[in-house]
Amino acid sequence: MISLQHVTKTYKNDVTALDDVSIEIEKGEFVFLVGPSGSGKSSSLRLLLREEEPSHGEVFVAGKNLAKLSAWSGVPKLRRNLGTVFQDFKLLPDKTVFENVSFALEVIGKAKHVIDHRVPEILEYVGLGEKLNNYPDELSGGEQQRVSIARACVNRPLVLLADEPTGNLDPNTSVDIMRLLDKVNKIGTTVVMATHDQAIVDAMRKRVIELDRGKVVRDQSRGVYS
Amino acid sequence: MRVEYYFRETASGMRRNGTIAFGAVMTAFIALFLFGLALLIRREIALVIESITGNVQVQVYVDDNADVQTIDQIHSILTQLPAVANADFEDKAAACARAAQIFQSNPTIIENTTCDTWPRSFRVTLADTSQYAQIPAALGCEPDANKQLQCTQPGVTTVRDWRDVLDRLSAITTAVSLGLFGLSVIMLISAVVLVSNTLRMGMFARRKEISIMRLVGATNWRIRVPFLIEGGSEALLGAALAIVTLFLGKVFVVDQLAGKIVWLPLVRNSDVLSVLPWVFVAAIFVAAVAGTVGMRRYLDV
Repeated sequence: MISLQHVTKTYKNDVTALDDVSIEIEKGEFVFLVGPSGSGKSSSLRLLLREEEPSHGEVFVAGKNLAKLSAWSGVPKLRRNLGTVFQDFKLLPDKTVFENVSFALEVIGKAKHVIDHRVPEILEYVGLGEKLNNYPDELSGGEQQRVSIARACVNRPLVLLADEPTGNLDPNTSVDIMRLLDKVNKIGTTVVMATHDQAIVDAMRKRVIELDRGKVVRDQSRGVYS
Repeated sequence: MRVEYYFRETASGMRRNGTIAFGAVMTAFIALFLFGLALLIRREIALVIESITGNVQVQVYVDDNADVQTIDQIHSILTQLPAVANADFEDKAAACARAAQIFQSNPTIIENTTCDTWPRSFRVTLADTSQYAQIPAALGCEPDANKQLQCTQPGVTTVRDWRDVLDRLSAITTAVSLGLFGLSVIMLISAVVLVSNTLRMGMFARRKEISIMRLVGATNWRIRVPFLIEGGSEALLGAALAIVTLFLGKVFVVDQLAGKIVWLPLVRNSDVLSVLPWVFVAAIFVAAVAGTVGMRRYLDV
């Protein structure tokens, strides 16, 4: 599903974020990317989203070589297959829960009947069936993250990329969010999650890829944080 | 759904950006108005030149009593001169029709004249304008006390040399149009800058939406089209205002002059109409350039 082959990413200021990294992730896997700040976790996610391109090496997602995608149609198509969740939720404050989720379908041209069917369905799935008409600032942090997971999943992506999804949440709420991500993974979505959260990694016992200064230093199935 | 989406986005963008969008529309309006005005003033000067000189360099007037043979003779004298490129005879009907066309906006002139008023003439184009003197010489013309040429050639009443007037009027036309076009070009550039600025402000205000759109896989077109429509509507709104103002100016300024300055031919509604497509072309140009400039390097995936 995801393949990084000898990927090196060097930024203009000569900082090397990734140094000859090769990673293979199968369909349906749940993978933690761990490591200290600046170890290359976020750079890896940006490469998968093709927000950046590698300096050397190749990145494949769902069988597609990202270097060969055209900016006008290939990249948008790629991103429709990738759901993304962030530490800061990235919700639109002037839109309701329903509108925040439907926005993701609307801007890729989905028909109204599809939106009216799928949005309540996914919001029910993440446990926000009662809060369709609330605004983000009326929700707790955990609920806001659920909205953003709903938005990431409403188009039924093959892969869910999560960048520190529990970074702003207290431990109990974090556990709830992890249960939800696990649920999303169980229905076949490949999940790649970058995190600092040792307790969560240790509790989940999933595959752990540890990065340090741009290199893979550990790749362990059913691993722990360190 | 798609069309509705674009227009909803555009409308909300313009509302959010109200005052800036207003500034852009007004600048586009003034720029396009000046542009249209420049075109109309050019047309007006062309009409004046035509009414004064008939757009020829030299006119040889023919006596009302001259018969066909006399006229043929004058024609052959003229065409044999090396300085003459062309000598077209214009009879009373043609002279009358041309006058009617020129003074269309000033019906008093036409009403108070009959077709018999307009003299017959040869309209002469010179091959070499410096050799004008050949014509009065060949027709035996001498200036009288009033500097009017009196000619000995039968059938010729007088010869008018329009070169000087034509040259001076053309110089005025060129200066006035260059000035006005220069001004309208500056204004058009300001309009482009303002419209593209509005687009950028709009994109900045919605950078969060845009980043999410890119993240969930919206195409570049999907993201840009609302802004392009926004720029386009601002330019076209400016064009509409400019056109309305040009017509109002025609009705309340130009039409009031009609009849007051009898000799002055005035632009007609059809002249204003013929300017409209160019105003729209300029508006589309403003929108296209503003769109290209405003979008550049901002919205790449």
